Amino acid sequence: MMKKIAIITILISVVFILSSCEEEELNLDNPNALTTNQFWATPNDAELGVNSIYAMFYKDGLWARWIYFRLDLVSDEGFSQSPWVELADWTRFNYINYNFWEGNSVTWRDSYKAIFRANQVLANVPGIEFQDEARKRSILAEAKFHRALNYYYIGLLWENAPLVLEPSQPDDLPQQVSKEEIFAQAESDLNDAFTDLPLQWDAQNAGRPTKGAAKAMLAKIYMQQRLWENAKTALDFLVIGEGAIYSLVENYKDNFTDINENNSESVFEIQFGDQRRGGTGEGPNAAVSSNRAQFFAPRGIGWSDGQARFWLVNAFKQEATTDGELDPRLQHSLFYPDLFEDFGDRVYGRDWEWGDQEAWFRKGARDYKRTNEDYFSEVNWRMIRYADILLRYAEVLNELGMTADAYEYVDLVRSRANMAPLAEAYPEIGTNPDAFLERLKIERVLELSGESVRWEDLKRWGDLENQQAIDQIAQRDPDFNNFEVGKNIRMPIPQVEVENNPNLEQNPQY
Amino acid sequence: MKTKLLVELKVIVLLTLLFSSSHQMFAQEMEVKGTITSEEGEPIPFVNVVVKGTSSGTSADIDGNYSITTPENSTLVFSYVGYVTQEIAVADQREINVTMTADLAVLDEVVVVGYGTQQKKDLTSAVSIVNSEEISKRQTTTVAESLQGLASGVNVRGGGQPGQEARIEIRGLKNLQGSNPLYVIDGLITTANRDFNPNDIESIQILKDAAAAAIYGSRAANGVIIITTKKGKKGPLKVAVSTKMSITEIPRYDLAGQEEFVRLNNMAYDNAGVPRQDLNLDVNTDWQNEVFRTGLIQDQNVSFSGGGDNSSYFISGNYFGNKGTVISTDFDRISFRVNSSGEKGIFSIGENLALSNAKTDEIGGSDGFRGNPFFDVVRLFPTIPVYDEDNPGGYGYGKSGVANVFAANPVAIANLIDQETENFRIRGNVWAELDPFPWLNYRFNFGYESSFDEYIYLRREGNWTLNQPFEPSFTNQNRAQSETLLFENTLTFKKEFGKHNLSLLAGTTYQKNTYEQINGLKRNLLVNPNTGDYFDVLDLGDQAQVGGFRNEALLLSYLGRLEYNYDDRYLLNAVLRRDGSSRFSDENKWSNFPSVSAGWRLSNESFFNSKTISDLKLRASYGELGSGNIGNYEYQGFINTFGAIVLGDGQTLNPSATQVRLANSELRWETLKQTNLGFDMGLLNNKLQLTGDYFIARTEDVLFGFPILLSTGNDGGNPISNAATVENTGIELNASYRQQINDDFSFNASVNFTRLRNELVSLGNGLNESIQGNTITRSGEPVGMWFVLQTDGLFQNQDEIDNYTNSEGDVIQPNAFPGDIRFKDVNDDGQITNADKTVVSSPWPDFEMGFNASAQYKNFDFSMNWIGSFGATVYNGFRSVVDRFDDDSNYRAGIQPWTPENPNTDFPRIVRGTTLNSRGDSDRWLEDGSFVRLKYVGIGYNIPQNALEGIGFTKARISLSAQNIITITGYQGLDPEFSNPNIFQRGVDFGSYPNIQNYSIGVEIGF
Repeated sequence: MMKKIAIITILISVVFILSSCEEEELNLDNPNALTTNQFWATPNDAELGVNSIYAMFYKDGLWARWIYFRLDLVSDEGFSQSPWVELADWTRFNYINYNFWEGNSVTWRDSYKAIFRANQVLANVPGIEFQDEARKRSILAEAKFHRALNYYYIGLLWENAPLVLEPSQPDDLPQQVSKEEIFAQAESDLNDAFTDLPLQWDAQNAGRPTKGAAKAMLAKIYMQQRLWENAKTALDFLVIGEGAIYSLVENYKDNFTDINENNSESVFEIQFGDQRRGGTGEGPNAAVSSNRAQFFAPRGIGWSDGQARFWLVNAFKQEATTDGELDPRLQHSLFYPDLFEDFGDRVYGRDWEWGDQEAWFRKGARDYKRTNEDYFSEVNWRMIRYADILLRYAEVLNELGMTADAYEYVDLVRSRANMAPLAEAYPEIGTNPDAFLERLKIERVLELSGESVRWEDLKRWGDLENQQAIDQIAQRDPDFNNFEVGKNIRMPIPQVEVENNPNLEQNPQY
Repeated sequence: MKTKLLVELKVIVLLTLLFSSSHQMFAQEMEVKGTITSEEGEPIPFVNVVVKGTSSGTSADIDGNYSITTPENSTLVFSYVGYVTQEIAVADQREINVTMTADLAVLDEVVVVGYGTQQKKDLTSAVSIVNSEEISKRQTTTVAESLQGLASGVNVRGGGQPGQEARIEIRGLKNLQGSNPLYVIDGLITTANRDFNPNDIESIQILKDAAAAAIYGSRAANGVIIITTKKGKKGPLKVAVSTKMSITEIPRYDLAGQEEFVRLNNMAYDNAGVPRQDLNLDVNTDWQNEVFRTGLIQDQNVSFSGGGDNSSYFISGNYFGNKGTVISTDFDRISFRVNSSGEKGIFSIGENLALSNAKTDEIGGSDGFRGNPFFDVVRLFPTIPVYDEDNPGGYGYGKSGVANVFAANPVAIANLIDQETENFRIRGNVWAELDPFPWLNYRFNFGYESSFDEYIYLRREGNWTLNQPFEPSFTNQNRAQSETLLFENTLTFKKEFGKHNLSLLAGTTYQKNTYEQINGLKRNLLVNPNTGDYFDVLDLGDQAQVGGFRNEALLLSYLGRLEYNYDDRYLLNAVLRRDGSSRFSDENKWSNFPSVSAGWRLSNESFFNSKTISDLKLRASYGELGSGNIGNYEYQGFINTFGAIVLGDGQTLNPSATQVRLANSELRWETLKQTNLGFDMGLLNNKLQLTGDYFIARTEDVLFGFPILLSTGNDGGNPISNAATVENTGIELNASYRQQINDDFSFNASVNFTRLRNELVSLGNGLNESIQGNTITRSGEPVGMWFVLQTDGLFQNQDEIDNYTNSEGDVIQPNAFPGDIRFKDVNDDGQITNADKTVVSSPWPDFEMGFNASAQYKNFDFSMNWIGSFGATVYNGFRSVVDRFDDDSNYRAGIQPWTPENPNTDFPRIVRGTTLNSRGDSDRWLEDGSFVRLKYVGIGYNIPQNALEGIGFTKARISLSAQNIITITGYQGLDPEFSNPNIFQRGVDFGSYPNIQNYSIGVEIGF
């Protein structure tokens, strides 16, 4: 009996010891990813980290998709007839549910997502040891450029928004600041960035911001605040200063296809590709493409959620070239009923099958090489091109009372389109700054329509600040009948942010 | 901890030695052994065996074996509740086998309570027992579905999709991460998913309160369902064959026909002042006929069982096939099981092993409500053809100006997309037991479960919706394996000392889960000229994409339990479990989960003298349970390296990496603290039995990812935090009555009732409230209350519009027209905005009930089961689509929209393109979701024994049954018994798969 018990005892003990588990086993590492503590150690980590900010261009809240709705369709250049009524409502100041993801929240979120990425670089890269100190500085400068760029659009769209400058934590409740403070931060970041960015990148790195891009962004910020002196200084660098390395490309169309990308006219350009066929999220194979053409292509070709107002077609037809031809920019700016008649050109190979008062945006369309669209357009987006800079320079000079000096820069842009010098075509303007500005407004439309600058132009010109101006715009774009002065000049802040952040208030009148 | 436990064990072993030697000293008298069986020859465990006139006695083991030392010429008393007490003179017999006669009283059930068993009469906590016969009657895919209405406090919502897993919730929503309880199948901690064959079930117990579930500690916060599968019984080979066939029908919408659709659609366009669309009047498609069909379920089962004195076996095989009621949906399962056990002396060993292969074919992918057939059939116009050669792929769908709708053609999706999931699962355990003494048991249990999963998605070229971007053909496939390893050691000490009955349990468990997946994708597949279809292997095609990942989790536990029973009057049960999980950071890995419960059996007190009340027990318990039901690595922040950017003149890809999702490093266990008060009462010789429970279940540190500020830039899911505190209080009542009228007729009936109140005590993260969709969750109120604009009738004329002003005289809806909805300006600011939303009602039912009745007359039996849910408000997503009119769809038949000629209606003016009347965030779409449903009804006939003997059968039975055939409800959607997996929007019926109606015939044969 005792023997039996002894055997049992041993047996039990052995089983317990064998199966008794090591508590250290509880410390399981994730076999699938680096932790944040393991990262940010080497110069390569810094490179990967700064690249991730550029990847924000490919997200649907920003330059892959929805921001074009905010900038092009909300402005009087475009509108929406989408059967998705809420989507269309958000292009005509019919803001009901402020949390509407596609119309508001996603662009807000993705802007801050980009800022979070920039903040990670700015917080972590200074602690990394680099062989090449200059590269370290330029990485930080790139991050600051991107942070400023995103704050610029936050300031433009919502104006009053939180200023986040450190890597985010889940329980953050950041303080809301005014548009002026948002722009001041962007200005400061751009000045820092300018110092450490190169004038030009090597061929492999084309697409990163340059000194010129930093100055161009600075000029945009100053102009939006009507700080004309500062704006002139910034633009001087690009037009007559040491950064004057830009020139207009001969063929206007080269600004809107994938054929002549990063050309001499490009001041800052978003690099799109079609190599990856994932979504706009963060999964493996996340796409690097633009969806704009798929969303703006005519009915039956793309989603047709956005299209151009017909007054644009008429605007082009007001003035002929020196040869008495139609303004050639019309052909590359819009699809419109007489496209074939005027230029012998078709719409994705099709004859006109849409309304006789309809027009569609053409810049970025790939009809030159295919008959349909998809979510993977590789055509780079020229966010700031030299023609825009020249017209801005003219505007700034005009505002500073140097109207006579401004002509030459408008003429540079006009002459590429084979248009007569401005003074010849419109001698009545003379040096009247108001008349000059009114003409410049048209020049900007003809050159830059459908390039997402119209909303900031309208805001800067004060055309959204009084009912009289709004009434005029409403004649071109009836959506502005919904526009309430003092309210719709900025967007409502997503309601969830207002409800969950005690340091934030909804924008006035919303 | 490990060393400490080892020390404890050594002490136990030492004590064992001491006890056994003292045992030896009394072994002067004779030893009597035997087996106690029922009249059916099945062993009865735990029967009390006492030497008459003394206090010395023992009880039988789980197999009915006992041994007792007794003086010669004594008398042994065998007693057990539920059986007639017997006295047998020993004389000089060394072996006395006893057959006990059943007492009609029925408190005899042995309840599996986790790492052991208890008699039902000794329970001090809330446990429901479900009769396996009730389960096997029904035609269900999963166990959970078959539990519906059979136990109080257990809420089950099934779904009619082939292979769909039912949602089961025990005593309300206690956390926010998922409500599924823990399943323990033959001691293996697992999930009773669709791979499990419900025909194999011998018994089910549901552990509802914390004290009952405490032994499972951190696993058990949602309750525990313990399933015991069938075992062989002593005797020759028994064969049981059963077959069931069911025809299934899906409920259908009552939609407008072509003519009515055209009339309403034109009216909506005319009212908006836009040109009518050019509807194709040559086409008249009934989309429901195209997409829905009669389904067929078959369930074929065969089992073989038997055993000898020292061994038993059970073998079963099953085929379950479900051809779905929606085209391109199917589920097939083949399963196989072997349970066996054997013993020699003090050693016994056994195994349970199940193999299954399950294959599901699903329609399309889910992308919002594109590809959900329940939305598409109502959105597609009758004027859209099923096939249209002009479209890529050849299917009909919306067309600009002709049919302005973005609904997807389900027939196109069914043909253009193949989506199949197949998994092969091995699930089983091997256990060994040593019983060195009658009062000591050591058990080692090794459990293993592995599933090999295969997923194939094939996308053919072609379109199913208007303006769809071109997409090349592609195939996306993955192969995965999940694996669970479980090691458990338990030591049980059980002894009676006079009137003191003591049982002690100590043990350790180790469980490791891993999941690994590799996946691949190829586009532009080649077409096989012989079949005309694509090659669906990953060798062919281009633009390859591969991926893979591995997840691991580990849980270590120490557990202990004390059960004490004095004189069958006072009962005490205490449990302590300590759990360590790899899912928390070092400081927060370990937590303790104690519980204690007590019972007082009043009816056994000498002062208790009632003729009506034959049995009465009061129970009270308190326990703490944990939950670590979160992703595997939630407390750490990670770097996402999936991104890439384009740079340079060559437009080449460059890698990128960054943190995308934020993390909370301080995560700790979620804790459920539950108090339960209850009683069990037997009346009229236990013919009527009542059970009642009241409970308060408070969950603290609820793990959930509430939305954080968008300005953090967080993406990829909200970081989990210990966010909220949730409290559920409830009452459960269960009454059952059974009576044998005469030899030919007997019946029984039972009613269960559950009332539950859910309250969110506080919301963490500094949040005051969380709004999701049309619901709000804020402190002091139940989770997910309806938070919408209130409608207030229709404007009948311009005067009513002009006179509808706030207190300052501002016209509130100046843009309205007669026939539009009047909304309440709750905050009196003169306009209708989000600020006018208020909490209007609750998605939670006031109470739920189940009613079961069965009767037997001679060889016929009849049974039925009703369920009812009362007082919940639900969101009718179907109506919110078809009644909106701002966006085109098909419509409900017979609606009467407001027109100047038809003002006496509650249906507003219909207008295309404006959202005034169609806002999704108003109470227009809320409805009372109360319903009563005949869940099951069936009759059976057992062919009489004498007729069977001639052909050598022991049993032959034919049954007819039906499920879900009667539903009484005012709800206008497809099925009031829907399920929405989103906890905050559980009352939203947005294209949920309805429960199907089922008509079955079954044959069972035994020989």
